[in-house]
Amino acid sequence: MAFNFNWSPLIADTSRARDMLTTALNKGPKPPIIVDDITVTELNLGSTPPELEILEIGDLAEDRFRGIFKMTYTGDAFLTLKTKVQANPLNTYLSTKPDFASPEPLAASAGLTIPLQITLSDIRLSGFVILVFSKQKGVTLVFRNDPLESLKVSSTFDSIPFIKNYLQKVIEEQLRVLFMEDLPAIIHRLSLRLWSPEFQEMDTETEERLDGSKSTIAPIDPLSSPPQDAVDEFGNPIDASQMATLALDSASEIHASFSQKNMLRLAALSQSQRTLSLFTPGIREAVFRAWASNPDRPDSGSATPALTQSSLSRIQSNFASVKSNASSIASGSTGQDTMSSRPTLSSTYSSAAGLSLGANRARGHQMRKRKKRVVDLRKNRDGAESSGLSTEGNTPLHSTTVSETASSVILEEREREEEPLTSPPRSPAKPNVRFDPKHGRLDISDPSRLRETEKTLSASTDTLLAPAPLLSNPPKPKAKNLANAPVHHLVNAVQHEKPRSSSSRPPLSHSRLRSTQQSSSPLLRSLSFDKVSAITQNQFQNQKNHGGLGSPPYAESTTSSSGGILEQAWMMKMAQDIARKVAEEKGRSRSRSPREGAEKRTQGLWDSGVEELDAPPAYVA
Amino acid sequence: MLDFMEHVQHAFYEASHWNLDNSYGTLNATARALLDFQTPRGLRLQISSLAAPNFATSYTLGNLGVVDGSVSYLYSSLPLQRRLKSSELDLHNAIRGYRQLQELRRPDENWWWEIWHSGKRVDRRDTLLYGRIFLPQSRLEALYLRRLTPTRQLRINAVSDSNLNNGGTILTLLQNDFGKYSTEYMYSTDSALIGLRALYNFGADPRVAPTEPTTAQQVAERMHGRFSAGAELYYGLLNKSGGISTGLRFTTLPAHTGFPYTMTLTMNPLMGNLSSTYAVKAGSNLALCSRFDFNFYSYESELQLGCELWRRRRNTDVEWAVKKLHPDWRQPAAAPDNDVSGILKARVDQHWRIGVLWEGRIKELLFTLGASLDLKKREQIFRAVGIELQYSS
Repeated sequence: MAFNFNWSPLIADTSRARDMLTTALNKGPKPPIIVDDITVTELNLGSTPPELEILEIGDLAEDRFRGIFKMTYTGDAFLTLKTKVQANPLNTYLSTKPDFASPEPLAASAGLTIPLQITLSDIRLSGFVILVFSKQKGVTLVFRNDPLESLKVSSTFDSIPFIKNYLQKVIEEQLRVLFMEDLPAIIHRLSLRLWSPEFQEMDTETEERLDGSKSTIAPIDPLSSPPQDAVDEFGNPIDASQMATLALDSASEIHASFSQKNMLRLAALSQSQRTLSLFTPGIREAVFRAWASNPDRPDSGSATPALTQSSLSRIQSNFASVKSNASSIASGSTGQDTMSSRPTLSSTYSSAAGLSLGANRARGHQMRKRKKRVVDLRKNRDGAESSGLSTEGNTPLHSTTVSETASSVILEEREREEEPLTSPPRSPAKPNVRFDPKHGRLDISDPSRLRETEKTLSASTDTLLAPAPLLSNPPKPKAKNLANAPVHHLVNAVQHEKPRSSSSRPPLSHSRLRSTQQSSSPLLRSLSFDKVSAITQNQFQNQKNHGGLGSPPYAESTTSSSGGILEQAWMMKMAQDIARKVAEEKGRSRSRSPREGAEKRTQGLWDSGVEELDAPPAYVA
Repeated sequence: MLDFMEHVQHAFYEASHWNLDNSYGTLNATARALLDFQTPRGLRLQISSLAAPNFATSYTLGNLGVVDGSVSYLYSSLPLQRRLKSSELDLHNAIRGYRQLQELRRPDENWWWEIWHSGKRVDRRDTLLYGRIFLPQSRLEALYLRRLTPTRQLRINAVSDSNLNNGGTILTLLQNDFGKYSTEYMYSTDSALIGLRALYNFGADPRVAPTEPTTAQQVAERMHGRFSAGAELYYGLLNKSGGISTGLRFTTLPAHTGFPYTMTLTMNPLMGNLSSTYAVKAGSNLALCSRFDFNFYSYESELQLGCELWRRRRNTDVEWAVKKLHPDWRQPAAAPDNDVSGILKARVDQHWRIGVLWEGRIKELLFTLGASLDLKKREQIFRAVGIELQYSS
């Protein structure tokens, strides 16, 4: 798997990014020492691209992508800012004080503004980047940690060491904020402008609202309107004829640079695995797990228990009525539980439409959950594996039936939500159950949507089953021995998880495990396989993130349910953002379309709005 | 227009014979009144009352986005006699405009203030207490003013606000006015700022010379103008930064026969700022002012022009008749400035930023109507528009 990041078109057009940086820097109150607008006069991304190491790939589809990268940058990019500063300390001091108790100096506070030029160069970055791409939502890029390692600040006052040091300190601080908070927003907006014309309209509106001076340049596509004052990598302006070729080139390049092609290729590959096509170039050392079925349809739900697990995964594709690309690995449970059925990608569209009615939190949880389905491309580390969770198979699972009425589900979930949400799930079985009550509750928060509840329920089961397994031992391709695969996984998983459960206890013997596994229901097989591995993976992730901090395992287990603090914050932020946008869009469509068309239209909008929310396929490697 | 409470404080200064103008801080008060006036924003109502000669209350209600307001009380140990009712107050006292400086007054002797009763001194120092709370910000302003001796005054300003650093700030100001010169020492709790201000008046010393001319020669030699020089120095102990400025002023005194005018020149040697103002009172109804700022470090310059115009109602129907009957005859007005329909103040600077203020009295209400404009910004010319209404009884 390779991604072709083309750096050169990014260098060529920095005018828009410069404008956006300028707006971002001038938004919000400035310290009184800065008396003029901050203008970004030069922005050069340099000729050296950052190095990206793919750590994980989550959601992967034609129009979606999510992954975690490790980025290191030691390039020659530089940035020049211009502003004016107030040199009189008394002036800045008085400007923040109330008039009533001001000493009211006559002329001692007279201002002296000094133009200041700051150049930031030798930027060294290193950090973990989470990149989420969706055609609807644009590109979202966040840093999991503080990426700034070092940079060189040179300014007009370099001859005065005190000011130099002060500037260095302050700018580093500010840049950290910029990387963690502002840059994701800038990139998001930039990508919205590039990809989605309908957001562009909204975007310009908000921009007009934000700053009185409206920018007339709001290109839909880089093809249609080339950059206004483009410069090449040496800073020389590019003339129009050059620009035409460049623009055409860069248009194709830009898409390539976001690996559209590669995503298509990957999607094709993954689809071919789902069919009976003989041409299945299997991805080595990978297990495709989240082939969701379409059980939220009532017919499929009723049909599910009757079928055996092995047959189901194939037949289920027939039930996947909405979209063919959604397949399932639903393990039909004959006995006590029917939670085994798993919704497809497409079916969760509709269920997610119900979801989005609920609070933002629902979305947040959903996304948090979703995060766990990842393709892990990292090398296996034996030490990390041992931190898996155990006793999955032995813990009685709380389950609900699909055929149950919605009210009973609500009741059940109500009582479950009594548990404090914040309490860390220490027993490994709990995360399974803990999450779906939240979802279920939030999903059906709109009582008028009773019809949705069934879908919602399946959605919750979906989220229950959602997390991606991270298995240390790559099992054989599923196409070969599907029936054996879960067993095999379980054994693997249990083996890995066990040492963590009680470090003092000796590991269980293989045979005993097998017996346990055999006695457990098929549901358990599938569930535990997913869950355990997901938790294991989370453990793994957390351990990796925490590095050598030596945080105790239970602390990790608390975070495993919700991810890191930063991630949480980001997720909540994104969720709120999306909710707001959807609400705006909804309001607009409502006001626009007549009554009968409204429902249909909203449905469509919702579909598009929640496309990112639904359960993505995940793989294990 | 002066806030009611400021007006009351001025009345207190007047009653306690404190010369506000004899301070370095008010060296360019005229230019600031004509060029740096505040234009109101939004709607603001003020109802105030000098309920007793010693006690005043004031309530304001503002509407700028959110409704806010303030409640203030003032106590003065000295009975205030100035007319403060909005229907009858002297507009010249309430409106900041061209400040005509008066002859320096000889400070009171200490023993003048002594009051003895049956072998014991019973006199007390004049004190003013003032408090104001802003709602809903919960910001409290307090002022303590005490005339320690005839030449000395202590002033403590305090602001309490949770938004401020350390929850508030206190400014202590000790002022000495000896007529010939005046000094001020200050300390602010905010970054431990200490300050020093001094003003020296050239010319005759009012303490030795008699304040009123007695002989014909003295009348002829009367001072027509006064030349003053001053300086200020600030130093913040905590942030280790300071400021300094010096200033000169020449102003005509009432004895001057021509147009009254005031010239000031202030300089900040640290920051390289040089500012000169020239204000002239071209008639009883018109004052003009200009200011030129120049910074000899950054070569930045700024020019501001301002004017103050008193519009008077004219009974044109009868005026010609009156003039014909008796050219020097003046109608005794029921209230001072009863014929003033309004005072227009305007300023403009080189960047075409304009401030306009229209103040006056309608019936028993004092109004201030103001706007600030920016002609350079075409899409948003009006920066702020506001109206203030005051009623006091």
